[in-house]
Amino acid sequence: MTRTRRELVGRALFWAVIVVIAIYLLFPFYWAINSSLKTEAQLQMTPGTFVPRAPGTDDISITLQNYSAVFQNDRFLTGLKNSVIVAVSTTIISLVVGSFAAFALGKLRFRGKQPSLYLILSMTMFPQVAVLTGLYAVIATLQIPAIPSMILSYMLFTLPFTTWVMTSFFEGLPNELMLSAQVDGATPFQTFYMILLPLTLPALVTTGLLAFINAWNEYLFALTFTTIEPDARTVPVAIALFTGQISFQEPFGEIMAAAIVVTIPLLVLVLIFQKKIMAGLTAGAVKG
Amino acid sequence: MSAESVPVDKNHEPVKPKKRGISELAKREERLAYILLIPTLVILFIIAFYPLGSVFYNSLTDRQFASAQEPQFVGLANYSNLLSVTLIELEPEIDDAGQIIRDPETGEIDYPPVVSVLPREPRRYREFTQFGLFGSQYVIGATDPEFMRAIYDTMAFTVITVILETVLGLGIALVVNSEFKGRGMMRVVMLVPWAIPTAVSSRMWEWMFKDTRAGFFNILFQRLGFGSGQIPFLVDQSWQLPAMIAIDVWKTTPFMALLLLAGLQLIPSDLYEAADVDGAGKLRQFWSVTLPLLRPTLAVALVFRTLDAVRVFDLFQIVLAQSRYSMASFAYYRLIDAQQMGYSSAASVVIFFIIFVFAILYIRMLGVSND
Repeated sequence: MTRTRRELVGRALFWAVIVVIAIYLLFPFYWAINSSLKTEAQLQMTPGTFVPRAPGTDDISITLQNYSAVFQNDRFLTGLKNSVIVAVSTTIISLVVGSFAAFALGKLRFRGKQPSLYLILSMTMFPQVAVLTGLYAVIATLQIPAIPSMILSYMLFTLPFTTWVMTSFFEGLPNELMLSAQVDGATPFQTFYMILLPLTLPALVTTGLLAFINAWNEYLFALTFTTIEPDARTVPVAIALFTGQISFQEPFGEIMAAAIVVTIPLLVLVLIFQKKIMAGLTAGAVKG
Repeated sequence: MSAESVPVDKNHEPVKPKKRGISELAKREERLAYILLIPTLVILFIIAFYPLGSVFYNSLTDRQFASAQEPQFVGLANYSNLLSVTLIELEPEIDDAGQIIRDPETGEIDYPPVVSVLPREPRRYREFTQFGLFGSQYVIGATDPEFMRAIYDTMAFTVITVILETVLGLGIALVVNSEFKGRGMMRVVMLVPWAIPTAVSSRMWEWMFKDTRAGFFNILFQRLGFGSGQIPFLVDQSWQLPAMIAIDVWKTTPFMALLLLAGLQLIPSDLYEAADVDGAGKLRQFWSVTLPLLRPTLAVALVFRTLDAVRVFDLFQIVLAQSRYSMASFAYYRLIDAQQMGYSSAASVVIFFIIFVFAILYIRMLGVSND
């Protein structure tokens, strides 16, 4: 009797902890949704309500005006477009270039392999801010427009990561695959793109997802390089500098709506690919 | 027949076809490897090594951005401007009778204004902080108190967030590691804060920290009987850093937990079974099995988090702008607002070295734990 009771209490405690953790992690997101559904007047109500309620009465009253304002905001829409262009290009280029390098590092024998490997590994810890002024000068001198310069500079963190993870993946593929392809008369490069590359598809998806998310979320370079070219701003910069169409005050209702709009594609990615993302995160960290 | 099929060269000496084939192949392989590596190395040269070199070089000049003025070589002047500190004991003011002057109302000792005490030549020092020790009053002066504050704040931010995130992350990892229904869902939930762009989560929290009871934290604090419901979290000096820490801990703890969870799952379960047989309690199992085996993962997670925290930018720039800097946002504003490329570069180099030192320290620690 006492034993089952103790087990029951234990289980209840356990679930209480789980619920507390889940609430802690989700609450700011909930509060943003809640605020995005309020009018300016409802946002200024004190104390703020946990669901959108009409001032005066306590009826629940939800508005979608913040969302329609966000979708009519040209700066935000341009930001979305820019973010897609930048993040997709960064991902594709770093996957192509990175898997070339990774194949060389993981499967080919050559002199200088160890130093190259360490060089690239050390790059994964490279602080972006350390090259900020230098990179800004390079871009200004070469007069590269903001969007290509973001794509180029994001390689600073996506390329070493992609190369590193893909290298360890290539290393894991059996050598016999290469040998038997060579016996059949394939050149090493043919072996690479006809036999090994298809096998690394799962790793490509994983690293690609992480590269995409990192590029989508990047802020420092995006903010710096679009200083004189506001039309090239990506979503994080647009949200950080968000101002309303009319109101002088910071329109937090619209900002929250924009935040939700930006976050939802990421959440969908996470829901679909959670296993792959986890694998990529731990490959980057646990093996690093 | 078989003798004739062996290839013979012009001097009628049999060659070793196998060996030549292999070395030929090896050469081709090596050439291919270099060709494949070139794009990566060229890109990294353009965006990392060359800019880093120019940052080091610029840090020794007074270069202004977008200015026609020829930059002058100034040696280490930028660094001494950034980093000079001085400690001076304040002498109490004494009246004509040789008595220490005290404030007539509070009875506290009157000190002269620090401006009169701090050196003005060759560089002007400004007050960084004052403190009392063993009955004496001291002032710390710095040539750039803002950068000193940025270093101090960033370090405090780093140490506190990393500790909190590790402890909380480990706790969450241990809970989620046990079998229960909805564990998969829980992991998705844990990825949410990580996946949201920092720019976005910073604005979400900025709104929760609003200085009226429209903000969540003012509602919460007032309900708990703390504060008037008007706490200006993001303006009040003493609340700014805790607010930054709260945001970062929320965003990064789940990431830490996920890494540690991956580490926990590498621990073979028969170790726990053996410990059960030996009659070791849960707590004992944690200390003698879990923690030692988790150490490599824990170490790597710590490295990643620390290096990330030292270079924190998004959070400080978005929420606090120029009212309080992290080291990175200081460098950013010196570059973009003040156009002081040389000075900003010097600040970047300082950040680079601090991160470098942390990295070396950690590599040492990891090396030791590997033995």
